[in-house]
Amino acid sequence: MQAALARASLRPAFATAARPARAFASSATRAQAVPADKPVLEKTFKIYRWNPDEPDKKPTLQNYTIDLNQCGPMVLDALIKIKNELDPTLTFRRSCREGICGSCAMNINGQNTLACLCRIDRDSKDSKIYPLPHMYVVKDLVPDLTLFYKQYKSIEPYLQNDNPPADREFLQSPEDRRKLDGMYECILCACCSTSCPSYWWNQDEYLGPATLMAAYRWMADSRDTYTAQRKEKLQNEMSLYRCHTIFNCARTCPKGLNPAAAIAKIKLELATE
Amino acid sequence: MSLALVARSATNKRIAATFARRALAPRLARGAADTPYVPGGPVYKGSVNDPTTFPPPNKVHGSHHWAFERLLSASLVPLTVAAFVTSESSYPMLDGLLGVSLVMHSHIGFDALLVDYLHPRKFPLLGPTLTWALRATTVGVLAGVYQFNTQDIGLIELIARVWHA
Repeated sequence: MQAALARASLRPAFATAARPARAFASSATRAQAVPADKPVLEKTFKIYRWNPDEPDKKPTLQNYTIDLNQCGPMVLDALIKIKNELDPTLTFRRSCREGICGSCAMNINGQNTLACLCRIDRDSKDSKIYPLPHMYVVKDLVPDLTLFYKQYKSIEPYLQNDNPPADREFLQSPEDRRKLDGMYECILCACCSTSCPSYWWNQDEYLGPATLMAAYRWMADSRDTYTAQRKEKLQNEMSLYRCHTIFNCARTCPKGLNPAAAIAKIKLELATE
Repeated sequence: MSLALVARSATNKRIAATFARRALAPRLARGAADTPYVPGGPVYKGSVNDPTTFPPPNKVHGSHHWAFERLLSASLVPLTVAAFVTSESSYPMLDGLLGVSLVMHSHIGFDALLVDYLHPRKFPLLGPTLTWALRATTVGVLAGVYQFNTQDIGLIELIARVWHA
């Protein structure tokens, strides 16, 4: 308040002083816009806390109240604000803050999503933030994705072709290239796999939607010649066929992809080969 | 925490050592390639850089099972409609088909339930027991349905009478 008064009293003095001296007087003389003081819009975030250094303490939800008008629009902005200003011990992964790295995947208000792509609801209801469900927790919002990466590695997610063209790169028709659309965009944030009940119960054997979509991405690739081997690996009751078409994966994907469709195509190709 | 308390007294220490040896012995014998499933513990096989492994490929457990299951489910729709349409007269063939396919359909459904929630790798005793119990039940129900279809009014007639009762 005092600062605003001081600014108001200074302004005419500054304007009169500037007027004769400068050619671009009009811009200087125009009354400088005073940023309107936004009202305080408080929002409480209930955030899952667990510290591995205190294994006897049970996980708890900790409340943090921040002013949304002093914060960016996304949940990740709120988390960073909380970590900077309220509690530096709050632990979470983040990197690109624009939905391309997949680091900040977490469960926000019951939905797995990327914190950086999830807008804060500007209503007064509390917002609950948990780590990805059914994963071992390293600390606070950081889940252990070791098994997820081991599974991704198991499907050999790279081009395999014993007869590469000798003198140039692989050529691919636009139609063949189009088959990969909707699959190559996956950033492996694990939102889909950790939203899948089948993956919750059987994640040591069932590959989960993210890995299966990656598997189909290489089966569908016209340049890859190991399709038969890739298919044969999935011919058992656990790796692929624990998918019961629940569709949580397609619903939760923060990139708008459809792993369920890829899994359905694998099933169809395996059944009709 | 509890381990530390146990280790305080000498007798308890001996007991704990015996337990530890018993728990460790089968794991060491089987080696890292066949790590037992530990409920609530890490389930990694091999190091963090090793890919997960696949069970041996078997189409009977894979695509054939899936295709059979889907074809069976799909064929149950016209079968059920046919049963509705012909419910007034007796059709032993339709009775038999419906009896077998319905029971098979239920068997596959219950079996999927057991594989999902009571897999032998997690429940080494309960899992196989229930799987065999399910198989025995299915055989029993098939025999019963056969008896009912040949000696009594048959499935379709029964449903029709219950429907109109």
